[in-house]
Amino acid sequence: MRRMFIVAGRVVRQLLRNPRFLVLSVAAPLIIVYFLKIFFDTLPPTFDVARYAVPVAAFLVHFLAFLLCAISLVQERTAGTLERMFINGFLRTEIIAGYVLGFLGLATFQAVAGLTEAIWLFELDYDEVTLVTLFVVVWLLAIASVMLGIFVSTFARHEGQVFPFVPLIIVPSVFLSGLLVDVDELPAWAGWLGHAFPLFWANDVIQEVIESGWTLDDVQRSLAVLVGYSVVLLLLASLTLRETE
Amino acid sequence: MNAIEVSGLTKRYGKIEALRDADLSVRKGEVFGLVGPNGAGKTTLIKGLVGALRPSGGEARVMGLNPIRDRAELRRRIGYMPQSPALYEDLSARGNISFFGAAHGMTGLRKRVDDVLDFTELTRRANDPIHTFSGGMKRRVSLACALVHRPEVIFLDEPTAAVDPQLRSRFWRTFRELARGGATLFISTHLMDEAVLCDRIAILREGRIIATDTPRAILEWGRTNLVVKRGGAREKETIGGRPEDLAAALRPYGLEPGVTAIEVESDSLETVVLSLIEKEEAG
Repeated sequence: MRRMFIVAGRVVRQLLRNPRFLVLSVAAPLIIVYFLKIFFDTLPPTFDVARYAVPVAAFLVHFLAFLLCAISLVQERTAGTLERMFINGFLRTEIIAGYVLGFLGLATFQAVAGLTEAIWLFELDYDEVTLVTLFVVVWLLAIASVMLGIFVSTFARHEGQVFPFVPLIIVPSVFLSGLLVDVDELPAWAGWLGHAFPLFWANDVIQEVIESGWTLDDVQRSLAVLVGYSVVLLLLASLTLRETE
Repeated sequence: MNAIEVSGLTKRYGKIEALRDADLSVRKGEVFGLVGPNGAGKTTLIKGLVGALRPSGGEARVMGLNPIRDRAELRRRIGYMPQSPALYEDLSARGNISFFGAAHGMTGLRKRVDDVLDFTELTRRANDPIHTFSGGMKRRVSLACALVHRPEVIFLDEPTAAVDPQLRSRFWRTFRELARGGATLFISTHLMDEAVLCDRIAILREGRIIATDTPRAILEWGRTNLVVKRGGAREKETIGGRPEDLAAALRPYGLEPGVTAIEVESDSLETVVLSLIEKEEAG
């Protein structure tokens, strides 16, 4: 437990001392959401902005949290610091949990910033409970993305090997998770495949709560799946992170 | 009990045998050198001893502990300096050393970090980020990280590669100081002028240990070329590398006044090691 906090503290210190990394991870989603606003402004007034604004912000948080975490952990491997951590007695679970804790702050900040900007720019009017629920779901998605990044990093020997996972995992989720079209409109098999992506469950909650008259019962299943997704990925990453050659 | 015992250690990567039936033992307090060309298997052997690699066969014991099965206990007692600096570039020297030191749950960590910073002459730059350091300074930080928890056995994988002669000499003074303090040092190198500074060396070629002895004893396996100048004549003779061979070769000359000069040229450790490797290659 103590060593988990040592790893988390080091991850946070590293993030704070790397301004380029911080700018990329926080400013990039904000800029892209702004571009989205410019794009949506060109569409006819009948276009349902609310249907896409928050899901797209959630997707950006998901994509960046996944990518930045995966790359950070792969950098540990290429720099030899991961091996050094193991030889100094850190356990796999301590390293992974430390990473999750360390990136949790960043993921929270990304979730708050992305969501706040989307709501402000697109002039979305939600009550407090809806806002809190939206934040919780984007935050849970960010945590699942960090877990996904850690899991994927165990299959990459260098940074370049992370990128093939983007078209493999992230890009399909754009089309199959209900982000652009409802999964009901997709062929049945594609709809089922969509259920495999954490973005599907996050989007399911988002679509539910931005409609009026939702209750906690309507979203708790999807929220639970999102939490379960993180737990399963955490376990898988603990099993696949290689300690020895 | 020896500090390190290796018996029949083998590591295969698919069809490639990176380490073949390695046997060696290292006494406590010894400075032991692992000598061999690039790709000989030096890093593989070190990784096998620190538990970073699962051997395909054979056994290793460090302080009586199995590097894989007893890794939790072993890792408290060993220090490891890898070939690459393996440091966090955004953190300071102090930040890096404290991080690896904290893993061991030491009491008085702050004081100990100050001590190793002083020992490796890094105090002045202690709070600067690593990315502002030269290659040599990064190596010193890496060494400090390996020493912070006062390990009994220290594994150093090519610690002086790409380091200038002045720093290299400083490193070797440090190694000797650590050995005087009771630590066992296991150092890999491909530089023969460093190998002679070790108490004993093992020569590794294509994953096999082909010789283990003191540098002096290995030098004696070489040849000495003797040129005796008598009057205008030069008599050349090639003899063995042992001091006794030289004495025997000179004895017939006695104090003969006609002998005006004697040139003695002995093989360097590099020549002896290369000839051993060539002999091995020739089968």
